[in-house]
Amino acid sequence: MTDTATAALPIDLGNGPFAVTTRGLAKQFGSTRALDGLDLQVPEGSVYVLVGPNGAGKSTLIRTLMGLVRYQDGAVSVLGRDPADRGAEVRAGIGHVPEDYRVGYAWMTVGRLLEHQAVYHPSWDAEYARGLRARYGIDPRRKCHTLSKGESRRVQLVLALAHRPPLLLLDEPTDGLDHVVRDETLSILSEHLADSPTTVVISTHRVYEVEPLVDHVGVLSEGRLLGQLPRDELYGGLLRYWADVPEGWRGPGELAGRVVRRSDAARAIEWTVWGDRDAVTRGLSQAGAAVREVAPLSVDEAAVALLSAREAT
Amino acid sequence: MKIRLSHADGRPLYVQIMDAVRSGLVRGSLRPEDLLPSVRELSSSLRVNPRTVSQAYAALERDGVVQVRHGKGTFVAPGVRPEEKERPRLAREVARRALADASRNGLALADLMTALREVEGGDAHGDGRKEDGR
Repeated sequence: MTDTATAALPIDLGNGPFAVTTRGLAKQFGSTRALDGLDLQVPEGSVYVLVGPNGAGKSTLIRTLMGLVRYQDGAVSVLGRDPADRGAEVRAGIGHVPEDYRVGYAWMTVGRLLEHQAVYHPSWDAEYARGLRARYGIDPRRKCHTLSKGESRRVQLVLALAHRPPLLLLDEPTDGLDHVVRDETLSILSEHLADSPTTVVISTHRVYEVEPLVDHVGVLSEGRLLGQLPRDELYGGLLRYWADVPEGWRGPGELAGRVVRRSDAARAIEWTVWGDRDAVTRGLSQAGAAVREVAPLSVDEAAVALLSAREAT
Repeated sequence: MKIRLSHADGRPLYVQIMDAVRSGLVRGSLRPEDLLPSVRELSSSLRVNPRTVSQAYAALERDGVVQVRHGKGTFVAPGVRPEEKERPRLAREVARRALADASRNGLALADLMTALREVEGGDAHGDGRKEDGR
């Protein structure tokens, strides 16, 4: 089964061009289905955030796109190639911040590690790498195994960005960073996007930290997408309605929208609905509700609404 | 140009940037022919996607508020008349937000108008007491 059958929100982004697609992607570890018919579409040049709880399949998906995990069913295309049989080529075009914060080559100094990376990436920008390292305040003489979790993350970000790859896959990139460094990282990413044409996939369960950068959203649960759409469409189409209602109100028989979440009190309701704002407001009003406020949800709130609606079914 | 974005605000980020430019014109901190920050500078300082800033600048250009001069940057358009266009426009936007806020609290336009005059006159309690004159 692919996503369309279960998604609460649209998941088809149209004709692309896409930097990454998967079609009916499935991966099972033993009896656990990590990815369950996933149809991912990441538009070229987009900042795509993949939201979902721990265990939703985010890291498995990213590792599959890198060619580090072999998938069992479906089709995958990353920068026009299948990572299952052209993994090395695919990885050459990717800047990756892995889930695991430990940097390989523990015995190397940071300076040596950066030089070492340059060998693998013809597009390595040594000056940019030095600038980022200095901005992050990492001494090049430090040995990698002495780095704290947050310092390792910073080094991983430098490694991912400095070859200006066409695709960045960032798995919980702000994990372990303190407030100041996280803020600096957002500024670095904004500048990077302004300077280099890049597609970015960010996997996180803390969307609010990266929300201002995002232009596409995919909500993942149990290896499937519950929605995949441009952030602006999410902002305009998934809305929260507050209304005063008569006692014993039952709601409209039919509504021109999909109710994602509803919370009813005696004389007031709070519904989260996917649909046309005017049509939904009209539908509620005609059924006797006095709509007091309609407001968009942040990506974070939208993810919570979708994921908790899923738990309720 | 100083801009403060709010993620709790109901307005999309690019609209908040547009409103900040308009408000700069009305206050006089931005004037015709002024150079605006580059897309890179502004997106970096606001920590937003450069596309959001481009989107705001493009919409402002369509409205005739700014001019993109290729290779030189984005400038406040020479012909803007903040008093004629931007001030009433910004005022309507603020009014829309105030009305929405009033309606959310179950208040009607008349309640809001009365309260605005009272607060403006320093009579915040509506009973003749001055706000600071206890």
